[in-house]
Amino acid sequence: MTGTGVEEHGVPPLQETDLLVRLRAGDERAFETLVERHHAVMLAVARTYVKTRAAAEEVVQDAWLGVLKGIDRFEGRSSLRTWIVSIVVNIARTRAVREARIVPFSSVESGSGQAAVNPDRFRGPDDAFPGHWNRYPRDWRSLPEEVLLGRETIAAAMRAINELPAAQQAVITMRDVAGWTSEEVCAALNISPGNQRVLLHRARSQVRAALERHLDG
Amino acid sequence: MAESGAHISCQEVVELVTDYLEAALPPDEAALLEQHLNFCQGCVWYVDQTRATIEAVGHIGTSELTDETRDRLLTVFRDWKRS
Repeated sequence: MTGTGVEEHGVPPLQETDLLVRLRAGDERAFETLVERHHAVMLAVARTYVKTRAAAEEVVQDAWLGVLKGIDRFEGRSSLRTWIVSIVVNIARTRAVREARIVPFSSVESGSGQAAVNPDRFRGPDDAFPGHWNRYPRDWRSLPEEVLLGRETIAAAMRAINELPAAQQAVITMRDVAGWTSEEVCAALNISPGNQRVLLHRARSQVRAALERHLDG
Repeated sequence: MAESGAHISCQEVVELVTDYLEAALPPDEAALLEQHLNFCQGCVWYVDQTRATIEAVGHIGTSELTDETRDRLLTVFRDWKRS
């Protein structure tokens, strides 16, 4: 949207191996393609370690230089994107230690009691059907696709993600924005599958609630 | 989670939905949840909303870079190439 429109639709995406060959040969377009694919995830991961967006941008810039310097040594034992994010993690962790910041993901961050849906949407313990809906969620499948997947809805989802705690933001960005598998996320962030699911659950629940506010008014 | 294998409430369903969609629920809990969905339209719509949310987030796209970021990184690239 703020890009230069280099992502051409209808053209099959370049495979990782092609990109690697071209990047090693110093092809600038290959580098740009990689940046477009992975920058958002890198930034979200960096944000879990450092305080400010500016600091995260610096980490990611250093990581790109690390990628370029290390590209000849990359052996393809992990996927390229997992390797790239491991470089972000190393640089960010070093910096976090220097800033005396705690390293994230060692435990699930605060808000563990947070409910997926506001408890007042459910009937109370004295009701004949405790824990059942007071009022059903709406049937979004009956909404026209141009509303459900419209620009304003997507923008509302983006805003909701930006407001999430950093670890949740990183996981939902990797899984649902960039299409990483849960195995890749666990490997890149060095978290357990259970921890990954808790973070994903909180993130998706918050985004759903934001879309509900947006769509149902 | 479910008491004595009886049933689960809607309030429990909304906390299990991610594990369910990730196919990470133990079989007995998955069976209870599916049983619940058989008679609860509200929860069917909730699961639908969750799937729709995943789809909407999937449309955000990763390639949104500011011109400043792009220029900064291209400078990194060109400096690296020259060295």
